[in-house]
Amino acid sequence: MLRMASSFPEEVLEHVFSFIYDDKDRNAISMVCKSWYEIERWCRRRIFVGNCYAVSPPMVIRRFPEVRSVELKGKPHFADFNLVPEGWGGYVYPWIAAMATAYPWLEEIRLKRMVVTDEALELIAKSFKNFKVLVLSSCEGFSTDGLAAIAANCRNLKELDLRESEVDDLSGHWLSHFPDSYTSLVSLNISCLGSEVSFSALERLVGRCPNLRTLRLNRAVPLDRLANILCRAPQLVELGTGTYSAELQPDVFSSLAGAFSGCKELRSLSGFWDAVPGYLPAIYPICPSLTSLNLSYATIRSTDLTKLVSQCQSLQRLWVLDYIEDIGLEALAAFCKDLRELRVFPSEPFAQEPNVSLTEQGLVSVSEGCPKLHSVLYFCRQMTNDALATIARNRPNMTRFRLCIIEPRAPDYITLQPLDDGFGAIVEHCKDLQRLSMAGLLTDRVFEHIGNHAKKLEMLSVAFAGDSDLGLHHVLSGCENLRKLEIRDCPFGDKALLVNAAKLETMRSLWMSSCSVSFGACKLLGQKIPRLNVEVMDERGPPGSRPESCPVEKLYIYRTVAGPRFDMPGFVWTMDEDSALRLS
Amino acid sequence: MGRRGSASSSSSLESSNYPALSSRSSLYQHNRDLSTDLRLGLSIATSSQGNPSTPSESDWPPIKPFLKETLAAEENECNSATFFVKVYMEGIPIGRKLDLLAHDGYHNLIRTLDHMFNTTIIWAEMDGEHSEQYHVLTYEDKEGDWLMVGDVPWEMFLSSVRRLKITRADI
Repeated sequence: MLRMASSFPEEVLEHVFSFIYDDKDRNAISMVCKSWYEIERWCRRRIFVGNCYAVSPPMVIRRFPEVRSVELKGKPHFADFNLVPEGWGGYVYPWIAAMATAYPWLEEIRLKRMVVTDEALELIAKSFKNFKVLVLSSCEGFSTDGLAAIAANCRNLKELDLRESEVDDLSGHWLSHFPDSYTSLVSLNISCLGSEVSFSALERLVGRCPNLRTLRLNRAVPLDRLANILCRAPQLVELGTGTYSAELQPDVFSSLAGAFSGCKELRSLSGFWDAVPGYLPAIYPICPSLTSLNLSYATIRSTDLTKLVSQCQSLQRLWVLDYIEDIGLEALAAFCKDLRELRVFPSEPFAQEPNVSLTEQGLVSVSEGCPKLHSVLYFCRQMTNDALATIARNRPNMTRFRLCIIEPRAPDYITLQPLDDGFGAIVEHCKDLQRLSMAGLLTDRVFEHIGNHAKKLEMLSVAFAGDSDLGLHHVLSGCENLRKLEIRDCPFGDKALLVNAAKLETMRSLWMSSCSVSFGACKLLGQKIPRLNVEVMDERGPPGSRPESCPVEKLYIYRTVAGPRFDMPGFVWTMDEDSALRLS
Repeated sequence: MGRRGSASSSSSLESSNYPALSSRSSLYQHNRDLSTDLRLGLSIATSSQGNPSTPSESDWPPIKPFLKETLAAEENECNSATFFVKVYMEGIPIGRKLDLLAHDGYHNLIRTLDHMFNTTIIWAEMDGEHSEQYHVLTYEDKEGDWLMVGDVPWEMFLSSVRRLKITRADI
């Protein structure tokens, strides 16, 4: 058999490998034998680096010389919630600089939670002649000047997606930098931009790009301009409106309704800032074919929301504020039998009292009525073990379950017990659960359940939970597929970490903030485990200035083959061998 | 094997206490034997952390900045062009908030309330057959008195209403 495999010429193997896209499969191929490793590395076109500090640009370039598409992620997930101070890191420039010379034919760059400067964007614009796709998800550090450089120079650009990035919005003129000869736009997402873009430039751009499929406008695009834009792009599949509010005027309404009716391919809607109920009927004609609806910014109430979702029988994904209430979720359960993903966000996240009638019952209803529901993010103010157990029994196909109860440590509001058994039921019944985020009053018992049952779990988020190190020990020793663990405000200390130190090298990263891990334990981990970067974040000053037993503020541990990084700000210390010696 | 089993309260951070750290090879431990865990000094007793901290609004609940900003802006806008009052239905502890300025009169208001609470509300101008199950709408005015909704002109009602209450009308 071995002889047969090696008698295939390289070109044949390469051709076979070209049908393999998945990273894991590619990695598996490369481990079969040395010659397969060599052939595979020369023909790998796409790489994904889940933590930009796990490997260095030269290492990547050395192994994979012919890459066309790069995806990088920077800051830890908790950066989304303000837990990572400014200046932490995640700079993309070194990557762009290295790739500018090594990958002149690079086509796609996708970045998440990274710091992207105008210099980096300008370098992209002039280095990659066939550049096609730029996705900046939750990034920051650049301005509309950088976007102007991209628009002006990337002749073959197909996709420019700035989802949820923080952009220094100097002016809307950057859009006009797309030359008149530029017609290849397929996807544009500028929903995060604060200021106006030139509407006439936008309309002309939309009008001359026949392949435009996705258009996510920003809030500054007024409702009365939407019809014109839609009429120029009736082939749109995904649309994000601008502000969805205007004085109710029959002619504005009828042109809008007409424009929507003309978009026969429209499947996904978002935007709806300041939505006014009077204009909702304009989208009714296309509701039956919608598969994705993002109403997270629409502050319309349950009556109108219920009426809307009841018409979306093909809906697969719904993101909505808790204004939908239990009654709206019951309608969702009744009419949207194809629903796969539900996210319900809090309309008044800081209010003590509930402002809407959204309870555990809404989620139970959806879990009963929607057989394909497998991904949930639900903010609410009360929960019971019974409800969680019911949801678990109804939906053993759940793969992503994230619950947030606004009040930390809230018990089962009927029995006043911890929610251990409820979440225990979730991990017991949902055998394919990949992602879990827990809420409410939780003891070490819930972690025992997780360690025993959540064998496919890859990402776990924990806040204000547990009693002792045993909780953390259960998770680290039991969850075989755990890749990302993020913990805040839990009484976990040194022991569980040190006993399970070897586990940390099998994971992408561990985040712990406001826990009880001592500086001494961090030093020990950093010194003893060669391929881990142990980074301590403390805004009180050098950890060495306090006793070794003093707990650190924040701890971020990740595996790496690149050694400690050197771009850290003043409040981050790395615990590798050399620096640990210097600190003590 | 020297120093294992030392008192759990003062386990020193010697790497010899932690097998995973004492050699450079990274063998993944499958050992979940509780008795071993106990010998290694892990305690099942709760370690009290003192008073649990209440999180600050800057990082809890975990919602992304864009949503936070949008909701905050909504609230600010609301204060200028809306008038929210709480509406309580007999038997339901959670009051609902209702924007009176989003309605142009009693008819509109009653229609919204009927829908919101899934009932039929009796008020001053209603006539015709009443079903067995109906509710009465009252409001609390500035003086703290509870009055039937619909008796005074709409504008006057708006200037004096503080809260609304829906109760069963037992004959």
